[in-house]
Amino acid sequence: MRRVRLVSVLVTAIIAAACGSAGGGGSSGNSYAGKTIKLGAVLSITGAGGVYGPQSRDGMMLAVDEINKAGGVNGAQISLTVKDDASDKAQSAQVAQTLIQQDQDLALLGPTLSNSAVAVHPLAESLKIPILAVSTTGIHIVPDCNYPNATPCRFVFRDSLGEQTAIPDNIQSYAADAHPSTGVLLVAQDDKFSSDGGKIVQDTVGQYNINLLKVIKFNKAEADLSPYVTQAVQLKPDVIFITSLGGIPAKIMTEARRQGWQGQFLGGNGFNTATVSKQAGAAGKGARSASAWYIGNSFPSNSDFVTAYKAAYSKDPDQFAAQGYTAIKVLVDAAKRANLTFSDLPGDREKLRAAMETVNIQTPLGPFQFTSTHDVKQTVWVIAMDGQGGFTLVHEIKAS
Amino acid sequence: MGQQILNAIFIGSIYALFAVGYTLVFGVLDILNLAHSAVFMLGAAVTYTLVVNHGQSFWLACALAIVVAALMGLVIEYVCLRPLRRRRAPPIAALVSTIGLALIIVAAIEQGRPGTLFAWLWVDGANSVSLPGGSFPNPTWNVAGLTLEGSKLAVIPISIALMLLLGYVMRFTQVGRGLRAVAENPRAARLMGIDVDRMIALTLVISSALGGLAGILFGVALGDISPYIGRDSVEVRGLAVIVLGGMGSIPGAVLGGYLLGFIEVLAVVVLGSNVRAGVAFAALFLMLVLRPQGFFGAQLRERL
Amino acid sequence: MDFLIQLVTDPLGFWSSHTLLISQIAINSILASSMFVVLYSGQLSLAAPGFMAIGAYTAVLMDIYLHTPLALNIATGTVLAGIVGIVVGLPVLRLRGVFLAIATIGFIEALSLGVILNLPITGEGLGLKNANADPLGGINLVLVSLVVIVFLLWRLTKGRLGYAWTAIRQDELAALSQGIDVPRYKLIAFVLSAVLAGYAGGLESHLNFFVDPNEYGVPRTVQVLTFAVLGGSGNVVGPVVGALFITTLPYVFQQAGDYIGIVSGVILIAVIIFRPQGIVGRGGFAFVRPRWWPTARASAPSTG
Repeated sequence: MRRVRLVSVLVTAIIAAACGSAGGGGSSGNSYAGKTIKLGAVLSITGAGGVYGPQSRDGMMLAVDEINKAGGVNGAQISLTVKDDASDKAQSAQVAQTLIQQDQDLALLGPTLSNSAVAVHPLAESLKIPILAVSTTGIHIVPDCNYPNATPCRFVFRDSLGEQTAIPDNIQSYAADAHPSTGVLLVAQDDKFSSDGGKIVQDTVGQYNINLLKVIKFNKAEADLSPYVTQAVQLKPDVIFITSLGGIPAKIMTEARRQGWQGQFLGGNGFNTATVSKQAGAAGKGARSASAWYIGNSFPSNSDFVTAYKAAYSKDPDQFAAQGYTAIKVLVDAAKRANLTFSDLPGDREKLRAAMETVNIQTPLGPFQFTSTHDVKQTVWVIAMDGQGGFTLVHEIKAS
Repeated sequence: MGQQILNAIFIGSIYALFAVGYTLVFGVLDILNLAHSAVFMLGAAVTYTLVVNHGQSFWLACALAIVVAALMGLVIEYVCLRPLRRRRAPPIAALVSTIGLALIIVAAIEQGRPGTLFAWLWVDGANSVSLPGGSFPNPTWNVAGLTLEGSKLAVIPISIALMLLLGYVMRFTQVGRGLRAVAENPRAARLMGIDVDRMIALTLVISSALGGLAGILFGVALGDISPYIGRDSVEVRGLAVIVLGGMGSIPGAVLGGYLLGFIEVLAVVVLGSNVRAGVAFAALFLMLVLRPQGFFGAQLRERL
Repeated sequence: MDFLIQLVTDPLGFWSSHTLLISQIAINSILASSMFVVLYSGQLSLAAPGFMAIGAYTAVLMDIYLHTPLALNIATGTVLAGIVGIVVGLPVLRLRGVFLAIATIGFIEALSLGVILNLPITGEGLGLKNANADPLGGINLVLVSLVVIVFLLWRLTKGRLGYAWTAIRQDELAALSQGIDVPRYKLIAFVLSAVLAGYAGGLESHLNFFVDPNEYGVPRTVQVLTFAVLGGSGNVVGPVVGALFITTLPYVFQQAGDYIGIVSGVILIAVIIFRPQGIVGRGGFAFVRPRWWPTARASAPSTG
């Protein structure tokens, strides 16, 4: 009698375990019918970060709509509140606090800018709410959000490919193609994003026998970068590295070409939007960077995503939209498996956090998993500007 | 080195043109018009929108943009300044009022995206854009190791011509005399039959038109048009220039502009980039302490 | 509007979920008080962010390298700001009105661009990470400080210092002829304002995980000035009200969504036009007087 009971318990356990690990599709154990999963996003819709925030938001909203229409998450509807932080660090933290404590959201997404993340991520960590970064690619985002304190932050994740992976991949691929020997780095020293990228460039070039002739620092708000470009061009390097974002890459490229320089531009994430490619125009043709996403990629969920996005917003998605969309997919997958109670918020947040660590799904970015440091593990696309506002694919580097 | 000198002359011209507008308003009204940098940006933005989003020719777009900038001068006068004068408000209130207008102008451009309220004005949001290559003439010559760009070179004669024109107007025309009278003593000017309010409006119109033009030249020659070019590139430097050159002095603003351009480029070449603007401001501070009227400033009168 | 609704219906909940905002309002109020002191004594000093930077960087650097307790760090920063206040304040004593404003702008920009952005120890462009910040717990210290400061300033304005400052503000020459030691009182005001700003900077650095060099430039000073002018700098409470009003504006008008910038600008202009003396202002204060501005005694002139 006891043995039968033991066997039946074992069998039930095995069946339950098998159902639970079947990729999260319709696990019979959880039913959230009638409940709402509350998510909050802190994004830069206005201000300098407004170049990226709206796309992240659009990608997220698309995912939320699709999932809600398809029945939600085990029956629960998702409610996503997007708040603007005006690209201001202090406001970012204040808004995050209201989402965490007033709205009582289950998890957060964002913020858009690395500068704001420095304030918001430690806050989320101390208030024990999972936060998924969707566009910050600098260093010390994960896992050391409290850098220089080395304790890893348990609640901070990101789905935006870090510069620490992207820039070396880009340099490696160009070095293999063309064997450059000299380079000059132009870096905006008062911009964390650019500065981080610059550091990574400096640490990487030695491995590929590229001699960095000079590191030229400027301030991001300067009116005219011509004096700096002149300095760079006069050294006649094979490569010019540009790690800035916004309007700066295009200005540098245009000026360098005008001054007669014919070499190769290599950049960071700042190159990866259509706006920069358009602004650079013919001067930017051939400029290379490594991107987390490419519109023409052949992963299964990508073409559906692109079609749906175009239908909803009448324009092409970009990397930020793809990362926003993916973030929702990641959170939803984790929520399905997390056995949420909807009555114990701190407990639910912890469960969600644990479930996020084991996410393994198909997304427009490709097969997606977190590394042990909550960073992203994915294919990298080396792209080049085509001189007409778009990009062509140069290489595809699979995740190792 | 020659290339760097060219860089200095170019950026100096932009600073000078921008500062002349600033100093004109200060000379006549004793007010710092902090909406000036927003009008600078607006000139560039409107030119871009007209060319790219509404398919107009470059020259027509420039002309219209200057008109828009001039009209904005009227807005500054009627919305920000005149109501305060009527209420005998302290002059510092005008500072806040122009700050408010600058905020509105920048926010309107920043919000311009397809489908929003301001899509007719701007559709690129917070992005930085540039005029597409073929839309305006920009011949480039490579001579003796120097790169000479048509658009950058054109700024120099245009700026100088405008300075001279303005100087002529101020000195030799009726209107100019009226402006100078108001700058000297508005009450006396009124007693002499000069319509002070109209003179003030005219000052704002001229100043804003110049500011808008400076913005157009900046945006076109540097290939950088965004909602932030006024605030980031010229707003504070404009202040530095008019102090260096003497508040209220037009030739001073011109000279100050070129001086600042040279100081900045020199600092890049000699000291390394970071210190560039810091040097400019240290110079500004010293100048004020040692010679508050600047190089060409009028004597300080009651400002003892 | 639900921001205000929650404030009224659930004050405790509002409090605990808005601690960061409330702390920021308090810090902005302390900054506004710093501005109050100089404006009340007739000086248009825009140096507050520079002294904030000194307070903030000193406090955080001491924490990182010396591991000294918080109170000592902030105190040192405050004192250092005061000392620099003397050094900067002395040479600019004889500058008036807009000239002082521009000199102080020169100071903050030279400090920011020339010094902070170039010393490796200050982290150059990237600022400093402050691992021991306590954003949620710091609120008590900040609020208590604010109350104490406002009270102290109120007492000061009722005493001899306040009388002297008012006299200087209204007419510096007349004050001098009455035997008031004008330079001394002006310097006291300047240094006091530096100390307050330094203290605010140190507090703010304690609430943030990151000291950002880009926060101490002209946009910050414009913001602080706006607090004081909008709130009315005729008495101590005015700038605090101004700080409260402006800091909460984006939250109250959340419904404006993307258009918040435009709404803010419109409100700014509206308030200053309809109450040029400020929200809490008590009527004319005229320390930045252009040559022709009517004195309090002259009959109402026809010039607006």
